[in-house]
Amino acid sequence: MSLTFERLESTVRATHARPGPGYFALLLAAASLAAFGGWAYSLVIREGLHLTGLQRPGGWGNLITDFVFWVGIAHSGTLISAILFLFRARFRTAVYRVAEMMTVFAVMTAGLYPVFHLGRPWFAYWLFPYPNDRGLWVNFRSPLIWDVFAISTYFIVSTVFLLVGVAPDAGALRDKATGWRRRLYSALAFGWRGTDEQWRHYTRAYLFFAAFATPLVVSVHSVVSWDFAVSILPGWHSTLFPPYFVAGAILSGVAMVIVILVPLRKWLHLEEVITSTHVDMLSRLVMLTSLIVTYSYATEIAIALGAPASDPERSTFVYRMTGDYAPLFWLMVACNCVGPGLLFVGRIRRSVGAVFAICLLVNVGMWLERFNIVVTSLAHDRLPFNWRTYTPTWIEWAMTFGAFGWFFFWFLIGLKLLPPVSIAEMKEELAHDEQAAHAAAEVAHAG
Amino acid sequence: MPADPGVLGSFAEPAAAAVAIRALRADGFADVRAAMPAPFPDVVAALGKPRSPLDFVTLPGAVVGLFCGIGLTVGTSLAWPLVTGGKPIVSIPPFVIVIFELTVLVGSLTNLVAVLVGTWHGGRSRFFPAGTSFNADRIGVFATGGDASAAEQILRESGALEVSRVA
Repeated sequence: MSLTFERLESTVRATHARPGPGYFALLLAAASLAAFGGWAYSLVIREGLHLTGLQRPGGWGNLITDFVFWVGIAHSGTLISAILFLFRARFRTAVYRVAEMMTVFAVMTAGLYPVFHLGRPWFAYWLFPYPNDRGLWVNFRSPLIWDVFAISTYFIVSTVFLLVGVAPDAGALRDKATGWRRRLYSALAFGWRGTDEQWRHYTRAYLFFAAFATPLVVSVHSVVSWDFAVSILPGWHSTLFPPYFVAGAILSGVAMVIVILVPLRKWLHLEEVITSTHVDMLSRLVMLTSLIVTYSYATEIAIALGAPASDPERSTFVYRMTGDYAPLFWLMVACNCVGPGLLFVGRIRRSVGAVFAICLLVNVGMWLERFNIVVTSLAHDRLPFNWRTYTPTWIEWAMTFGAFGWFFFWFLIGLKLLPPVSIAEMKEELAHDEQAAHAAAEVAHAG
Repeated sequence: MPADPGVLGSFAEPAAAAVAIRALRADGFADVRAAMPAPFPDVVAALGKPRSPLDFVTLPGAVVGLFCGIGLTVGTSLAWPLVTGGKPIVSIPPFVIVIFELTVLVGSLTNLVAVLVGTWHGGRSRFFPAGTSFNADRIGVFATGGDASAAEQILRESGALEVSRVA
């Protein structure tokens, strides 16, 4: 049975049916994980950062790794919804809503970790410029202030983009909803009735949102990379970092979209809407960004190894590949370079299970990449007497895994409130396909 | 409220709705509108409406954001001229980052306000009441400012599933 407007709408509406025990079990697991991380963090608040493994020279560890990882995860949503929209990539239609939701919840997760890392989170508001008794303003030359502006702007713009995209769908869902859902969709629809006048403004505004979001998505992870690159630490001080970080962010983000979409399409019976072709197209993005990341790894290493033996940069990279953290480095290479390389084999790429497994490993690899950048560079700085290995404590691991609980808790709630597929854009696609089929049939008939 | 009654037709196919709209406009109907579940290019092209004036709101919004960014970074640095890291008080390269973010932020929020106003205004049409199926799987075409009987005939000939007069 081919997909019709009515069938599409009923399929999406069915995803909002009363949740079963499986849903509540997942929600409870996510909430418990987040609560465990929160409890571990409460110990840090009560007793101090000495409960973590942070010490000189390793002042940054798991918490900053988590921040960079989750900002990276947040990248794919805007890439898929905005950049692919501007490029008129039609496969984005079925998958971008899930990616956008993922973006918003991932930024919500990322933003917590620099605050956790502060040690005195109750002073986090000092990061924002506000008039105060001392007449002192924030230092705009500091990369940490750039982060505040970049991440908060990204969060606001991504949320607005998501909610504006939902408006026509909320209008469609509202017309057949009852009770609190009707009130929710009425609020999200902004009075949507689908008139040509509304579409005239909406399509223009959507284009502008995409145009704003495109440079924003590139800038955000570039800014995060400058947190490292503007320092003089070997392993961080590199002009390669912005494109390297952006490509890595897209790699991890698209991999996370696939990891979420594969079980989701089965669980919510969306196989007819989100097809294996969509997974295939996303896999190609993983392949492309994996190649860029692999090239970046090779470039960094080649530049470092090309330096004289006494060069600190060379020393850091040799340490990264052969020192205390070498197993993590090579595991990262296996997950981010070798694994996605298997996707060049058509049979593997068309196997949804294999793609899922590879993308899961990419996520592990991308977390390790951030860990390698943050930790190994600090552990092996310019002063040999300063060198010391950083090992995260169970509290930091609890907070790292708690982030996944926090993210999936909000994502599971979001799934039951917002349509996981853009109904309006899918209808446009269906009409386009039908028209193309008619035209082809007419040509065949005339022939 | 228009002085004369209009005619509302309901279509299943965007192409048929587009044919009806073109025929109505060719027949001299002053006001032809549509409501639809997606912005079907055929229908939008047939209506021939001018581009949304949102450009004239969003661009100034972004420019305001740009100047807010310049004012915030340069103004606050000059208000307490403290040298840090040996860098100039007004350090343009790092300030560009904050200025860029504020340009995007204020531009996007202005765009949001503009689309909300446009959507609210565009949804006030009495010809497409809420609860009708134009958000679901039908395309509504409304014509006024001409002979209602002629409009009914055009809509039916173009393949309308239902045709009704709107008082």
